[in-house]
Amino acid sequence: MPDHPTGSDTLPLSLTVNGEARQLRVAPWTTLLDLLREDLGLIGTKKGCDHGQCGSCTVLLDGKRANACLVLAVVKEGSNVTTIEGLAGPGGALHPMQAAFVEHDAFQCGYCTPGQICSAVALVEEGRARTPDEIREHMSGNICRCGAYPNIVAAIEQVLAENAR
Amino acid sequence: MSPIPNAETHVGSPRSRVDGRAKVTGAARYSGEFTAPDLAHGYVVNSTVAKGRITRLDTAAALAAPGVLEVFTHENRPRTAWFSYNYQDEVGPPGSPFRPLYDDKVVYSGQPIALVVAETFEAARGAASLVRVSYEAEAHETDLKNRMDEAYEPPKKRTGISPPPKPRGDARGAYADAPVKVSGDYWAAYEHHNPMEPHATTVVWEGGGKLLVHDKNQGVLNAQSYIASVFGLGKGDVRVVTPFVGGGFGSGLRPQYQLFLAVMAALELRRSVRVVLTRDQMFTHVYRPNTFQTVRLGANPDGALRSIQQHAIAGTSQFEDHQEVVVNWAGTLYHCDNVELTYKLAKLDTYTPGDMRAPGAPLGLFATESAMDELACATGVDPVEIRLRNYTEKDENENKNFTSKELRACYQVGAERFGWSKRNPEPRSMREGRELIGWGMASGAWEAQMMKTSARATLTADGKLEVACATADIGTGTYTILTQIGADAFGLRMEDVTTKLGDTTLPYSPVQGGSWTAASAGTAVQLACEAVREKLFKHARKASGSPLADVKLDAVSFADGRIEVTADPSRFVRIADAMRAGGVDRLEAEETAKPSMIDQLRYTGYTHSAIFVEVRVDEELGAVRVTRVVDAVAAGKILNPKTARSQVVGGIVWGIGMALEEETMPDHNLGRFMNHNYAEYHVPVNADVQGIEVVFVDEHDTKVSPIGVKGLGEIGIVGTAAAIANAIHHATGKRVRDMPITIDKVLG
Amino acid sequence: MYDFDYHKPSSVADAVKLLSADPDARAISGGQTLLPALKHRLNRPTYLVDLSGIAELRGVKREGDKITVGAMTRHIEVQNSPEVKSAIPALAYMATVIGDIQVRNRGTMGGSVANNDPAADYPSAVLGLGATVVTDKRRIAADDYFQGMFTTALEPGELLVAIEFPIPEKAGYAKMRNPASRYVMAGVFVAKTKDGVRVVVNGAGPGVFRQTDMEQALSANWSPDAVAGIKQASEGLNSDIHGSAEYRAHLVSVMAKRAVTDAG
Repeated sequence: MPDHPTGSDTLPLSLTVNGEARQLRVAPWTTLLDLLREDLGLIGTKKGCDHGQCGSCTVLLDGKRANACLVLAVVKEGSNVTTIEGLAGPGGALHPMQAAFVEHDAFQCGYCTPGQICSAVALVEEGRARTPDEIREHMSGNICRCGAYPNIVAAIEQVLAENAR
Repeated sequence: MSPIPNAETHVGSPRSRVDGRAKVTGAARYSGEFTAPDLAHGYVVNSTVAKGRITRLDTAAALAAPGVLEVFTHENRPRTAWFSYNYQDEVGPPGSPFRPLYDDKVVYSGQPIALVVAETFEAARGAASLVRVSYEAEAHETDLKNRMDEAYEPPKKRTGISPPPKPRGDARGAYADAPVKVSGDYWAAYEHHNPMEPHATTVVWEGGGKLLVHDKNQGVLNAQSYIASVFGLGKGDVRVVTPFVGGGFGSGLRPQYQLFLAVMAALELRRSVRVVLTRDQMFTHVYRPNTFQTVRLGANPDGALRSIQQHAIAGTSQFEDHQEVVVNWAGTLYHCDNVELTYKLAKLDTYTPGDMRAPGAPLGLFATESAMDELACATGVDPVEIRLRNYTEKDENENKNFTSKELRACYQVGAERFGWSKRNPEPRSMREGRELIGWGMASGAWEAQMMKTSARATLTADGKLEVACATADIGTGTYTILTQIGADAFGLRMEDVTTKLGDTTLPYSPVQGGSWTAASAGTAVQLACEAVREKLFKHARKASGSPLADVKLDAVSFADGRIEVTADPSRFVRIADAMRAGGVDRLEAEETAKPSMIDQLRYTGYTHSAIFVEVRVDEELGAVRVTRVVDAVAAGKILNPKTARSQVVGGIVWGIGMALEEETMPDHNLGRFMNHNYAEYHVPVNADVQGIEVVFVDEHDTKVSPIGVKGLGEIGIVGTAAAIANAIHHATGKRVRDMPITIDKVLG
Repeated sequence: MYDFDYHKPSSVADAVKLLSADPDARAISGGQTLLPALKHRLNRPTYLVDLSGIAELRGVKREGDKITVGAMTRHIEVQNSPEVKSAIPALAYMATVIGDIQVRNRGTMGGSVANNDPAADYPSAVLGLGATVVTDKRRIAADDYFQGMFTTALEPGELLVAIEFPIPEKAGYAKMRNPASRYVMAGVFVAKTKDGVRVVVNGAGPGVFRQTDMEQALSANWSPDAVAGIKQASEGLNSDIHGSAEYRAHLVSVMAKRAVTDAG
């Protein structure tokens, strides 16, 4: 844990991160995003804007997608956090959504990709989006500046189709 | 160079990205994510006036804040190079480059004026808010409209950027005499690159004066020579390693100020330092210039062009003359005897604009291709037909032939896939529910370039290949195509090839940009592999009782870890055996690819496209949706149809943003951009993008580059905005010449 | 961010005690507005009072002819609530067009109504349905609650606990969202209740307001055509980089028509 020289006491925090129970101490103002990236070294969750506008920091918070930059870590005492690092199976087998992203070339530079994938995994779980138009609408909280959107939609459609089988 | 014979090649086949796993698992590490023991964090303080002088910079409170190590300003900046030429970089324009923390002068709003370095990012950010600055502000000008009278032709031309050609014929006279005339003024807004990864530099202090620098850029060697020159360091003391770049689009071509600041702080504090810009700060450096154009076309009633006049004025900074190719495209695309093209700059109190995806071309062709659409309407000739009637087989700007030009096929294939023949030319003739439907099209072109580039290939006895080049992969797929080329050279599986990029210890490459990397680095890798093949073949022939002793190199194939006689694969030598015969366990070669001087003198090379767009316009709201795009592209050889398509799709998405959404709005009173975040600067989101179809037209080109590749990074954006504007006209009858075409302009 | 303390009370009474003790204390609900403000240092609390541990602030109830939504109920819960969907589908629909799903999973109705951002969605439903804002101290009629940009009748230290929505005969909502931020550029909420017709405009002006010309027209004739011809005056409407006052005025007529169509 790096020290927080701006003062104030840190608070205890219990979190399950990617299946592992963690006992942490955090300053009250630490966002979940900074906790993941700076303290836990989980750099797969990206900081694109730090203001909830780009979706690069999307993680699964108790199974629901959230922008980690707009969540104070202390608020999530007892929660279960899944980041991109926690999606692959044992032995490194890619999650079906990760595999579909590779197959459909659903990314270019890769910076928004962890957020897109976490968001897409949640989208499938939510079960609301079925048609391409619905997928587009429900994926619009995640900006991809490379413009891989059609391929992202194709990857999600594939996973939805696989699940329907 | 002979093609490498191989029936089943990776090149030309769709292949998934070799760096895909790293990117989908979060393992790919970007510049702001490298770490080091004892890492300090820098936070930048930016100026709040556009022009003037800093009269007082009070850093006492910031320095006293807990965890703060130092506050760097122009007053305590460590010694750096004195002369502005030391700050030059590989792609910078003529002028005197911006020097961070150089003196008390403020030359643009948002200029970095202090760097707070602290033990943590939060401490640095907190202390930065305590820095108090007083200015003596001077009157500034950021409005291009107010400086157009003073526009000038740049006296010194930017290297690699063709100035407008000399006028040919009598464009004004021919326009006056032309039976059909169209003319119009065109505006293009300021745009910012907005890569998802903010600019970031992590400098790892390795001791002994050695620095390991992870910097977001599109060329590690450019960053290295900049640092060495500015800080008076030997290149051996500065290694720049950037394996992944979270989007560049031109914003990483020139060194950005966080690189300077991070290196300065690391050298002075003698410890590792990271500086990451915030999203807001991403609006305090490079951008696409605000550009004004006038186009006049004169034609015969059948649509044949008699006169082309296109004039552009673009904004630049007070200290550099940024230049791009805006107006030349009309003279390259169409046959016309009377052509006058001019390009001028106007000085503004802003940072220097820079290259942003296809610099110049989409702006110029927005105007040209909108005017061609107007001409089609005025003459009653179909928009595709009018372009075919003015087709040229020669680049009349340069009076040279093209290395190849399959634009005619692009028009035909694109129109067919789109269903263009069903178009009713009458505006406002199609409607569904609340929405008017419009179909529009445009042509695209981008220069196919090749740059001197080196690469190394290393084959080991276990049949594994490493290819290496200092170039970047900014999302372009460079890792993947170089892996494909290397694998094909030795008949290997993709998994047996490792590609290394983005490291100053690797063979020379210029910055990644201009769509030249595939042609340049691809050729270099192929040459290096061929050199290794030759060495390997020599060893194979020497093996005792070699079945290859009496055959020539062109009679063998490399496959499955062996060299075999093509006509009789039962005669072969394994790679391992060949190496053993030569007494080596690895073979290595470094080769340099250069464009052919003779072909360059004789020909000009362009990638072409024809783009067809359907829009739907909610007339009550003025809201425009792009519902269908077909882009037919002729780009020479396509190395990887999967990643190639992604490049073009990405460019089209950029074109949608340019046409309808993207605009950085200055408050001219403050001289500052107002909408410096993703909530107010609208980049396309998933819901803004619907069906996009990319078709690659066959194009065989032996002159443009040894591997026949033209490059794809820019072509997708080039004609898109014009096609959308033309489709909006077809839907609504309204011709909007001011980008982005926002709701107010559609309604107004 | 910077130095502040953190408290997580488990009852409304404890929360109010904490919020009343220090004028610079701030309540945090979903944090989707507060966190950006903290990062920009627009808001510098001494401590935050986290409302997420207070069970009584959560959930949706139907009691007789009204729907009560707890302040800490998240947008996604409003969107999915069977009670809201059956009783006031326009309110459930409204929740589906707030921000993106990441925001809807975190943001709360109480946070939105307490903040009263002119570009927020919920205030138009609260006023349009003639709802009652329930606090720890009192019940405030919607007509008295909204007092202009970012301003409400809430006193310092007063905590918004729930909102009671009377179930209307019909209601509809239409908005033109900013294509980038998805905030409202102009939205109209229409409702037909036993007490009459209400038409409320959000996003277009400095705060939500009732469009009385349209209310009269719809009272006489509940149909999209009744409002289509009514022009909203542009005076006093917001004019910014996203749209002029004139454009927003134009949008009000279009959105009113679409909201009535939506209400059926």
